[in-house]
Amino acid sequence: MRYLSLASLLLISSPALAEEAPAVPLNDIPVMHEEHESAGVSHVYDGPWEYFVGGGGAAFDCNGDRKPDMLLAGGKNPAQLFINESAAGGALKFREGRLDLGKEMEKVAGAYPLDVDGDGHMDVVLLRVGQNVLLKGNGDCTFSVANREWSFDGGSEWTTAFSARWEDGQNVPTMAFGNYVDRKAPGAPWGTCHDNFLFRPQPGDKPSYGEATRLAPGYCALSMMFTDWNNSGEPSLRITNDRQYYRGGEEQLWRVSPKQAPKLYTRSDGWQRVVIWGMGIAEGDLDSDGVPEYALTSMGDTKLQVLDDEADEGSPVYRDIAFERGATAHRPYTGTDHKPSTGWHSEFADFNNDSLLDLFIAKGNVEAMEDFAAFDPDNLLLGQWDGRLAESGAEAGIALPTKGRGALVADFNLDGNLDLAVINRGGPASLFRNAGAKTDSGTIPMGNWLEIELHQKGGNRNAVGAMVNVKIGTRTVNRWVDVGGGHASGHAGWVHVGLGNSERAEIRVKWPDGDWSHPYRVFANQFVIIDRANPVANYWYPE
Amino acid sequence: MRKVLGVTNLLLLLSACPAAAEEPAWSESHIGTTLTFADALKLSQTNLQTLLDRGEMLFTAKFTTLDGAGRPKATQAIVPTKRKRGENASFQRTGGPDASACSGCHNDPIPGAAGEFVANVFASEGFESADFDSIDPQFSSERNTNSMTGSGLIELLAREMTADLQTQRRAALQQARQTGKDVYARLETKGVRFGFITAKPDGILDITKLEGIDTDLVVRPFSQKGVFTSLRQFTVNAMNQHHGIEADERFGARWTGTDDFDEDGKAHELAAGDVSAVALWQATLPPPTVRTDVPSDWQVAAANGERAFADMGCTECHKTSLPLRSLAFSDPGPFDAAGTLRRADVATPINVDLAARPWASGLARNEKGEWLVPLFGDLKRHVIVDEGIATLGNEIMGQRFVERDVFMTAELWGIGSTAPYGHRGDITTLDGVIRAHAGEGRKARDAYVHSDDTTRSHLIAFLKTLVIRK
Repeated sequence: MRYLSLASLLLISSPALAEEAPAVPLNDIPVMHEEHESAGVSHVYDGPWEYFVGGGGAAFDCNGDRKPDMLLAGGKNPAQLFINESAAGGALKFREGRLDLGKEMEKVAGAYPLDVDGDGHMDVVLLRVGQNVLLKGNGDCTFSVANREWSFDGGSEWTTAFSARWEDGQNVPTMAFGNYVDRKAPGAPWGTCHDNFLFRPQPGDKPSYGEATRLAPGYCALSMMFTDWNNSGEPSLRITNDRQYYRGGEEQLWRVSPKQAPKLYTRSDGWQRVVIWGMGIAEGDLDSDGVPEYALTSMGDTKLQVLDDEADEGSPVYRDIAFERGATAHRPYTGTDHKPSTGWHSEFADFNNDSLLDLFIAKGNVEAMEDFAAFDPDNLLLGQWDGRLAESGAEAGIALPTKGRGALVADFNLDGNLDLAVINRGGPASLFRNAGAKTDSGTIPMGNWLEIELHQKGGNRNAVGAMVNVKIGTRTVNRWVDVGGGHASGHAGWVHVGLGNSERAEIRVKWPDGDWSHPYRVFANQFVIIDRANPVANYWYPE
Repeated sequence: MRKVLGVTNLLLLLSACPAAAEEPAWSESHIGTTLTFADALKLSQTNLQTLLDRGEMLFTAKFTTLDGAGRPKATQAIVPTKRKRGENASFQRTGGPDASACSGCHNDPIPGAAGEFVANVFASEGFESADFDSIDPQFSSERNTNSMTGSGLIELLAREMTADLQTQRRAALQQARQTGKDVYARLETKGVRFGFITAKPDGILDITKLEGIDTDLVVRPFSQKGVFTSLRQFTVNAMNQHHGIEADERFGARWTGTDDFDEDGKAHELAAGDVSAVALWQATLPPPTVRTDVPSDWQVAAANGERAFADMGCTECHKTSLPLRSLAFSDPGPFDAAGTLRRADVATPINVDLAARPWASGLARNEKGEWLVPLFGDLKRHVIVDEGIATLGNEIMGQRFVERDVFMTAELWGIGSTAPYGHRGDITTLDGVIRAHAGEGRKARDAYVHSDDTTRSHLIAFLKTLVIRK
């Protein structure tokens, strides 16, 4: 009998070295056609050190035509608004809108859409290096700065993360701002992460924010999201933090109970210390159990966390399944640069309408970090029926030599296929139109789909915090209506669901207050409007 | 890897041995090398009859395990669904597979036509009760076998009606957007009314006043409920449910991650070209006709009966004919969704001109040159039950969003050849099934019941002239 050397044993037993063959996609690979130039989107996010991070944007409808428009952060360049003029099913087309708001449009690192005042016109939260800004939407793609009107102190921090949620009984959202390095602190940037802030509204129906509650300690947040991690009906605030600058820090989960001071989950609650270069958070229900899984981007491995089903009930104990699912995305999948990757925006979505969740990760070197890949293409990991994720970025056409940061996953031309905008540092933003499934002779349609819009009375009219539950055959596909996560980027509007080859579906909505709707019966390939006050879902048709 | 034959070889093999290409004549496999869509397209362009012959062969073949018959690990559901536990039996009358051949049920009076009570099938979603072994209606709806004769014309009518209705929807939405006001519009095509829509200026469509049609305004003309869009979709569904033969276009790796979804050891059981062959063979089946070889007293009675049929109001739903603008049948069709091969999935569809079929000359035409399809139906769903008469309300389960007491108007062409009657096939006489009508058919039914014996007899005489030619 021959003996294996220790080195050989290590090679065999180490999952990082003895890798399984990556999954090969058996389902449709979407053709992502890059067309930012022809679409009229000319935008660059750039700037010095403060803008190595950030680089986000907001996709939302600013003029009531139900097409997603875009507001993109520019860093040292002004933020830009792009109004969607794409024909349904056609090439992407945008017109630059005017943002005559002066200095407030500069030093913008990220943006999230949020109807703060519940007037039906989407507002925008700008994350800035300096004072954060609340833009009140006027419904015609014009905006006004509403910090004063809404008694909001935008502070002067370097803000890089955001999330919002309507707490029980509120007509106005609670907002959380995640901050990065406190540049003024002694010893900065090392070990000088700024505290994060929680803004709860004053009583009343109009937005009015008093003094923020400090979420201390802060560990240089680069993404945060309110998430109902255990399907309890009470969202907590999950924060991913950048170990580059914190000392003694970790990933964080804040218990945010109504009318109570936020409280960190600790070791005694089961929360385990995870230390990563946390850049982005995505939540998605990979196993359709109503409880989210999370994709956390970092430098090197991406984490894919699932709630450990052997943990005590109510304990936030997570297991990393990224390796077994083929989702580590730890180095470039194409090209000759095999150094570790740097991941930023992450988002679960169904790009090929096969009903399985896919995972998009924006990638890009921080600036010129030699230990990390310089050519670091964005990932498109397509969900497979065996539970694995199969890399398809190159075949899909998104493997570009860019430095991705934030991203917007939205159906810009309302054809049922999710398109993609990627905000790149130091170069033009990419805009990909999803042209359908790749074949030898071109493209063909992919699976069936639904896009769903929710309405309810009150301030939270877009039902932020709702879960959309779509039944197709014996399977259930879940989506959450969130504000937050990703990397400095978020979108509002249509909730997209791929249906595979189901021709119809039943939709149930778990409204933000926890009430379940009755099932709405709908046929595939429709835009569906669900108004809580209307027992029947209606369809909407683009022009 | 699926084997693909050249067209020349296919022609030779198919003409010499329809049972199985590359197989000896005595092979127990019928499908043999399954036909790709590209093969079928070429065949349709060079020798359509060979393609149709293959379709007939597949329709009448008693499938074997060598063909992939059986689905040990899959249910009959139209959405690929695994059994939760255990295996399906090779045959099972309720959950299926329940037939060796399509023609095992569709055989009365010719292959492709109807079936008598023994050929009933059990319609179930196949999601929650995959291994039910009961005919209790809480598990499934027992249905009599429909005739597919004339089904190409039926599908063409449905396609034109769908296109008309969707055009009306677009027009209403456009008008609402232009005027800034709600537009309340009637939906009507070929003289059949499908209720109303309200288009809002912002593009929202109120669909609460639709009648007898799905909310996507697709006329689905097949099955007794009117829930299947095309012969192609019907074929893919039925091949799985009744035989365990799974078509790639729905059960293949593209949609399920495996080429052997039912885990019977046979991959790629039915490629798209073979589905085309079966669908096109059904589409080209001669439509039912009217018997004229009856004695003169029957002819007189039938003429009187036809008038009574109209006078009583039967033709409000059982419309004598519907006009058809074109007899060009293309496969795949324009309104199927993913899971059935779609028009956009192929570069070039298979085109079959039904006007060139020998039977087409028997179709009357109107002043616009449209073909009049004498289906005695309206391709619309109606409530057929009321509080007084619930004979046809014997189902407990809805189907594909259609309530239990709602059925599509049965096309009466061929009714003289397709006893027994009713969607369960449990009514032995025409008189009986007329008396079972209620709901939206109540008025006509009452007119029939309250007429005199002679009138009723004449009406039966008329219906019995509507036959499927042997």
